[in-house]
Amino acid sequence: MAAWLVRRLVASIAIVFAVVTITFFVVRLAHGTPCGPAGERPLPPDVCERQRVQFGYDQPLLVQYGKYLVALRHGELGESFGLHRPVADALADAIPNTFTLALAALLVDFALGLALGIYQAVRAGRFGDVAVGNVALLVNSMPVFWLGLVLLLVFAQWLRWFPAGGIHNPILCPRLLSPYCLLDFLWHLVLPALTLGLVGAAGTARYQRAAMLEVIRQEYVRTARAKGLRERRVLLVHALRNALLPIITLFGLAFPFLFTGAVLIETVFAWPGMGRLAVNAIFQRDYPVVTGAAVLTTTMVVLGNLIADVLYAVVDPRIRVQRGGRGGGGGSV
Amino acid sequence: MSVWTWLTLGGAAVLALAVVAELRRRLQTSAPGRRFFRHPTAALGLFVLAFFVTIALAAPVVAPYPPYYQIDIGHPNRPPSAQFLLGTDPFSRDVWSRLVYGARVSLGIGTLAMLVAATVGTAVGAVSGYFRRWVDATLMRLVDVGLAMPRIFVLLMAVALWEHIALWALVLLIGLTGWFGTSRLVRAEVLSLREREFVAAARALGAGAGRVIFRHVLPNAAAPIIVSGALGIGNMMLLEAGLSFLGLGVPSPAPSWGNMIADGWHKMAVAWWSSTFPGLAISLVVMALNAVGDALRDALDPRREAA
Repeated sequence: MAAWLVRRLVASIAIVFAVVTITFFVVRLAHGTPCGPAGERPLPPDVCERQRVQFGYDQPLLVQYGKYLVALRHGELGESFGLHRPVADALADAIPNTFTLALAALLVDFALGLALGIYQAVRAGRFGDVAVGNVALLVNSMPVFWLGLVLLLVFAQWLRWFPAGGIHNPILCPRLLSPYCLLDFLWHLVLPALTLGLVGAAGTARYQRAAMLEVIRQEYVRTARAKGLRERRVLLVHALRNALLPIITLFGLAFPFLFTGAVLIETVFAWPGMGRLAVNAIFQRDYPVVTGAAVLTTTMVVLGNLIADVLYAVVDPRIRVQRGGRGGGGGSV
Repeated sequence: MSVWTWLTLGGAAVLALAVVAELRRRLQTSAPGRRFFRHPTAALGLFVLAFFVTIALAAPVVAPYPPYYQIDIGHPNRPPSAQFLLGTDPFSRDVWSRLVYGARVSLGIGTLAMLVAATVGTAVGAVSGYFRRWVDATLMRLVDVGLAMPRIFVLLMAVALWEHIALWALVLLIGLTGWFGTSRLVRAEVLSLREREFVAAARALGAGAGRVIFRHVLPNAAAPIIVSGALGIGNMMLLEAGLSFLGLGVPSPAPSWGNMIADGWHKMAVAWWSSTFPGLAISLVVMALNAVGDALRDALDPRREAA
């Protein structure tokens, strides 16, 4: 187990390192200089030159790369061109918002997805199962930002139940301080979290239904039934425990989805998170911010997968034996 | 004008129905064909796809207005009516006409990008699985990195760096960042196929690596590739829509379903129709693709039970 964990950890670090290298060189080689957008209004040459020196772009590429790596070890991601502050600070401001959104969405995703999946499995083939399945299929096929727009239209514009965007009331609650402001924040959180969560839940329900159906066929479930346990107990205690295993994989898969979705959802709902920061940075040609956001997201995705793998090994002893027994090179993944 | 619109619409629907019926009749003779149509929503999905492909191909006939034509600048955002089937957008263009022409762009980009992804993914997976050793190790590490990269960031960066991006470049970009999953799938398939007797026999008869891969191994791995391709088109379309929505995909005057949503977005409060219908079109097509993909899986892989 320890050896496997170390191998897995090293592989994860290597992946992050590779992504850092790729993004760094792609941006640098494609004239990602601090001279502003290439097309619109070019900076005067002397200003441009001063900027290049200030941001260290006059040094050889490999030196710049080395410096970037050294700075990265201290958690620094360089200086933003446009925001007049370090990239790490700008990201640090945005991350809590993205995390809160992702966490809330994950909650909706799993709570709703599990409940629906179990319901479908229990009623497999009957009307309830088919109806839920088809609705889930439709929701899963929607562009997530479009679902956000529709929810905004219905719940913010027509019904006026929820605010039309932003993270808090800018006049009454500039900062999170009082209980009222916390409620205000949660009130703003509902629609974006629901949007992301619903699309995720549609996928989760599908997985959970399949996992549950798989388990229900097993012998020990028949045994549980045979010894006269109530159906509710058989399903929710005996079957569900093992049907929950694939959910851990889903948990790992949810990370990329949440961060990708966040880019679009944060734009729709004017949510001041990492995704919106990155999109704005792209329009301003603020490359250090874009690179920083990409590096951070990759790290998070890799970390999510690692956590899912470790959780899986902890929860399911069959996997542990398999992985321990394989030994040797990590040739097959 | 509007009678013609309804006529063409009906014509497209009838044509799509005829295509599905004909396909069903022909495929009824083979076991996979029967399994395909046994899937509850396969025929419906096929119908939706055939309908959209028909109106995309016949766009100049179906669309009552040219896609860029601004009908009445003074009165944009007209609600759906007999004259404007789905209303007009904030630039006073007919939404239905743009939807019809947008089908060409969105379906085209989705399909072509998937072809790129499937080709690269199959090639990498086949080489990796067939040659194993260091080739496999190298390629699969590359795939690990590719899968870990947040795809939307990669695309955003690439698009931002290129300034104005051509459509073919967009297709290539979306395709070239989407093959990682397919390559793993194909590799797994090839790894197990290469140990089978018929492959050993082919090799014993003196067939080279290329011949073994293309003539013996890949045809037997076709089923999962086709299924993942059918499901992949939908993903590609969603990605294109997302990029176009952010203003970084298909450039604006050309209609794609994604940038139509973006065009109508800021006027959503007064004109819900210009963003709603293109999104509905995407959802319908992606859902149809998923249904057809699922049915294909049932049809081509009888071992897998339809759960």
